[in-house]
Amino acid sequence: MKHHKHNCVSRWTAACLAAAMLLAQAGCGSHDNPQNLLPQDDGEELTISLFSPMEKTDPNAENVARSATDLTIAMAEERLNLTVSYITYTAENYQDKTYDDVTLDRARNNMDDMYLLNPDTILILGAEGKLMDLSGLESAKNLRDIIRTANTVDGKLVAIPQEVAAYGLFVNVDLFNQYGLALPNTPEEFLECCRVFQENGIDTPIGANRWWLETFVFAQAYADLYNGGNTEAEIEALNTGKARYSDYMRPGFEFLQTLIDRGYIDAETALVSEAIEAEGPDFLAGRTPIVMAYWGAANTETAYGKTDFEMQVIGFPSSLGQMPVMPMTGWAVGAEAEHAEAAMDVLDVILSDEALQVYSQTNRVISPSKNVSVECVPALRPLNARIEEGIYVLGSNAGMSVEQWGNTCLIVRQLLGGASVDECMAAFDQLQDAALSQS
Amino acid sequence: MKKMPSQRKQRRGLFLLLSILLVFCMFGTIVYAVARRTSREMSAAAIQNLNESLDLIQCTIEAILNNEAEFQGLVARELARAEDPEAFIRAYERSRTMVKMSFILSGQTQGVSNTGEAFTEDELDFSAGQTVGDMPVSRSYLNYMGTWAYTIKCPVERDGRELGVLYVEYVYDTIDRALPAEGFYNKQATLYIMDAQSQRFVLKPKGMGQRSAGHLNLDDFYRANSLQDPDIQAEVSQCLTQGKDILFYHDIRGVNALNYMWSVNGGTIFLVGYVPVQAIQQEGRTVNQNIIMVVAAMMGAFFLCVLLYYLSWRQQERLRREQEEERRLHSQQLSQALQAAQIASESKTTFLSNMSHDIRTPMNAVLGFTSLLARDSNDPVKVREYTKKITASGQHLLSLINDILDVSKIESGKVVLTFDQFSLNDVVSSVDAIIQPMARAKRQEFHVEVSGIRHEYLVGDETRINQILLNLLSNAVKYTPEGGHIWLRIIGLKQRSSQYEHILIEVEDDGYGMTPEYLLTIFDAFTRAENSTTNKVQGTGLGMAITKSIVELMGGTIDVASQVDQGSTFRVELELRIQEGHADRLFWESQGVSRILAVDGSPEDLNTIQTLMADTGIQVDAAAGPDQALALLGAGGAYQLALLDWDGPNLDGPQAAAALRGALPPSVPLLLLAEYDAHGLDEALRMERTGVLTKPFFAAGFREKVAELWADPSAADGPDAEEDSGLEDLNFLAAEDNAINAEILSELLELEGASCEIVENGRLALERFQSSRPGEFDAILMDVQMPVMNGHDATRAIRALDREDAGRIPIIAMTANAFAEDEKAALDAGMSAHVAKPLDVELLKKAIRHYVKGQT
Repeated sequence: MKHHKHNCVSRWTAACLAAAMLLAQAGCGSHDNPQNLLPQDDGEELTISLFSPMEKTDPNAENVARSATDLTIAMAEERLNLTVSYITYTAENYQDKTYDDVTLDRARNNMDDMYLLNPDTILILGAEGKLMDLSGLESAKNLRDIIRTANTVDGKLVAIPQEVAAYGLFVNVDLFNQYGLALPNTPEEFLECCRVFQENGIDTPIGANRWWLETFVFAQAYADLYNGGNTEAEIEALNTGKARYSDYMRPGFEFLQTLIDRGYIDAETALVSEAIEAEGPDFLAGRTPIVMAYWGAANTETAYGKTDFEMQVIGFPSSLGQMPVMPMTGWAVGAEAEHAEAAMDVLDVILSDEALQVYSQTNRVISPSKNVSVECVPALRPLNARIEEGIYVLGSNAGMSVEQWGNTCLIVRQLLGGASVDECMAAFDQLQDAALSQS
Repeated sequence: MKKMPSQRKQRRGLFLLLSILLVFCMFGTIVYAVARRTSREMSAAAIQNLNESLDLIQCTIEAILNNEAEFQGLVARELARAEDPEAFIRAYERSRTMVKMSFILSGQTQGVSNTGEAFTEDELDFSAGQTVGDMPVSRSYLNYMGTWAYTIKCPVERDGRELGVLYVEYVYDTIDRALPAEGFYNKQATLYIMDAQSQRFVLKPKGMGQRSAGHLNLDDFYRANSLQDPDIQAEVSQCLTQGKDILFYHDIRGVNALNYMWSVNGGTIFLVGYVPVQAIQQEGRTVNQNIIMVVAAMMGAFFLCVLLYYLSWRQQERLRREQEEERRLHSQQLSQALQAAQIASESKTTFLSNMSHDIRTPMNAVLGFTSLLARDSNDPVKVREYTKKITASGQHLLSLINDILDVSKIESGKVVLTFDQFSLNDVVSSVDAIIQPMARAKRQEFHVEVSGIRHEYLVGDETRINQILLNLLSNAVKYTPEGGHIWLRIIGLKQRSSQYEHILIEVEDDGYGMTPEYLLTIFDAFTRAENSTTNKVQGTGLGMAITKSIVELMGGTIDVASQVDQGSTFRVELELRIQEGHADRLFWESQGVSRILAVDGSPEDLNTIQTLMADTGIQVDAAAGPDQALALLGAGGAYQLALLDWDGPNLDGPQAAAALRGALPPSVPLLLLAEYDAHGLDEALRMERTGVLTKPFFAAGFREKVAELWADPSAADGPDAEEDSGLEDLNFLAAEDNAINAEILSELLELEGASCEIVENGRLALERFQSSRPGEFDAILMDVQMPVMNGHDATRAIRALDREDAGRIPIIAMTANAFAEDEKAALDAGMSAHVAKPLDVELLKKAIRHYVKGQT
């Protein structure tokens, strides 16, 4: 017993001494390479500049859409051994230059290598020859035809999106049920719903901002054009001046005018409101039954991804029923960019099927690649059903001589600012005439 | 008093705890003081460090701005020398620093730019009055390139006359390029450049920084970083107005950070941002980690010491407790031993007192009658009476001594059971033979009953079982008044093992009984129901102690139930091994008995008979009465023997015997199963081939009786004739140191017609035998304890003699050492037989007959 105790103490002592020796060795470690104390770089790393919009979000909230992009950018950085540096711009208020204005300035002055472009700037910069032709990219071979069509300017594929942005109406189904209303299909049904809401104390049933009211216009303007089976001929007629944009646009503008006149939309507020910022809180609080937003907003907690009520995303009212509106954003490379080739390589990676799979799975969005499909969240199923049926209108089309997304947005703002529908139509005529004269 | 060690232990534990706490407190205070001091110094160092870094950046930016202003002055002078200043401007190609150059002639509001379009000052805001190197600088704005820019204007003078104003636009990207590409503080610092007038951020962190941070303006920065403290905002605002620097602590997303607003160019622009304190104090973190490691190591060492101390203390405590427990146990054992010794002493004192009385009483009788014998030696009648009384007193004295010796042996653990085969029949017979006369002498009725016994041939120490029964029964006889009843019941209980017979022996009487108090001590040695000085019943008080010891030695139990004047019942339970293969089949076959008729009024008795006879191979036909028996006989039953219960219930013995005898063939014996002293047997025995078998029924007894019936009657006389013979003409050599004993022996042998030569010790016996002629002595009677040479040594020496008769001459031990081991020692020494003293003449004669006459 005594012997055993003695052994135990010896073992403890040995363990303590060993630990002390290890500590001493760790403390007396020597430095290698005493000649040059600076860390040795492997060489200058290539940096690609990327210009994209920065959303104003809550400080601690993560922007899911951006995170998905970051995942794909990280893939590119790892594979190409370069760094992609983000340059962002956010307007302080509506009087500031818009993101699109700044994008045009920067692209025209070759300030950056890559740009995330809205539909209007794609067409403008594409037409100015400021963007590289991306049709040679390996990843471009997997694109859906509609994507290729919508982003081709003068025979060049100038931009490719990471997601197919579809806009729809986000509706509070609980409120519709509360007042015994069916989800609207036509403009008339929509107006009736608004009337009932208003009569029940919801003074402004539609939450709007200065960016996305044009979606109402597109749905009514181009429902027949894109779904009537004669799309190319009708676009050709517009491009040659045989048909007038104003004729297509008028019903939508008149509809908006009605919404404004009846107080279903607060025009003054909408005119100075940024997207989601103004109307979002009221919608989430159940005070506003209808807002408009893009597909991804149904997935992100910063927007409408987590509601206390049943939310559904449906198409905009049109003569052909609920109509999704799909503008085409896209990544583009400056034609005279300093690192154009490297930027093309980055695009090839972030638009590959593998990267798009990651992106689509993260954001649960429709992928531009025909090889990638992801199941959407329940709220988006009505909108997705229409898209799957092939019923939608494009919010932008590079094949049209008059840029649609940006111009219509600006003219809608005129309407919000007090211009008449006729004045707005005159603005379209002016744009068409200018385009015709250029051609 | 007992609480004292516990309290002391508690106090010691408390002291130890307090000591540890004290050490902890001291240790904690020192560590806290060192850590606090280190933290303070590191904090000051961090502020100093950041201060220097920001000063460096400030100087860099100011140097750039001053260079720009200086270079613009040179361009202005060049422009002044140009013949066509506007052409000069148009010809300028933008550089990375000066991205736009414009010129407005004096007196005009519109001028030209190198970009080609018309230029007016209206788009620029110089209202704040800020300058760079005395040249007015505009508020920052987003320029035509989509990037943040500012414009510096300076006059263009030719010959002292102002020719116009030169406007040069610079982009903040230039400053960005001058800043460390990797950022500072290992990319952990966040740095914005803010236009003081608009409070817009004109240069932002590059790369994939904090996305949710406020990149827009100062308000956005406040919101994004939760900088909502009005005091801080007010102080910042004041510094911005006065163009002063400010540095303050504020947590950014839960990380302690140093926030700064650093004035550049007299407050035209500000460096805005934050640095996590840890980023500045990287070495501090290492120091902290090292301090923590050292503290942890010291704490570990301290705890190790405490643990080792605790383990050692616990070990010592356990040893101490064990020692205390051992001491307590010892003292308890000593106390118990002392108590036991005292009790034993008291008991033995009482015992001695009793013994003194008990021994003196017969001794008194012996001596008294010896005196009377001396006086009346001429009166033969009186002499016979006195010698009879002397013999009785001597017998009593002997039984006293035997009991004392038995107890002594049992107490010293010297009793060894001798297991041998025996029959219950023998036990009952021998006990009955002893007790029955005793009972009859007191006119008591003694009944023996056996029931439920399945096996009567068993293995055990028959002598000791006899001793148990005799002790219990003699007590019963002793403590039952005249005319009382005594029952011995041997009952077979349910077997626990098929190899053992489980027996209950019950001895019941209707005698005096015992008090409950006495029942508690009845089995203790040296106790007796009444003090012998006041009781007429003689006894040592050791009988029950001996009985209990023997029962327990056999693995059995004994208990007693008794009531005063009602009687007592002793119950002994024993388990005795059953003899294997003892069925006597051969005997019965040799006697030609294969079927018998048993007639008994009691079904239980019939069952017992059948059970005990089961293994013999004999068919036992049972009849409940004479009618049934006659019916069986009439049915042609060929029986070799009939057994009739003479005095059983529901049966008239004589009548039944007569009827049965008449029905049985004359050659078939009839055995009457009867009590010891059954009445009317004599007449029945006159019938032909009719005998008596004493109850209880045992197969062994039955066998003996049958053997007797079938045997030749004339043969029975042989042994009796031999028993009557004496020791005539034999000559013995006797070694006996006690003269009286020698004389008694000599006289006894002479009475039997033998002669005897006495020697006083073993050596003399040896020498005498050596010198004797062959055949001179028929046997040697040898005492064991003798001076000079004891009996054992003498025997060995005799046996070792080189004489023809040395090995075969019978040597009979005659000794007071009467135990079995004494007998064994005698036989081992070479003696032929062992006879205990005091001498029983019959036993001695028997032994001599066996060894001497048997040989001769």
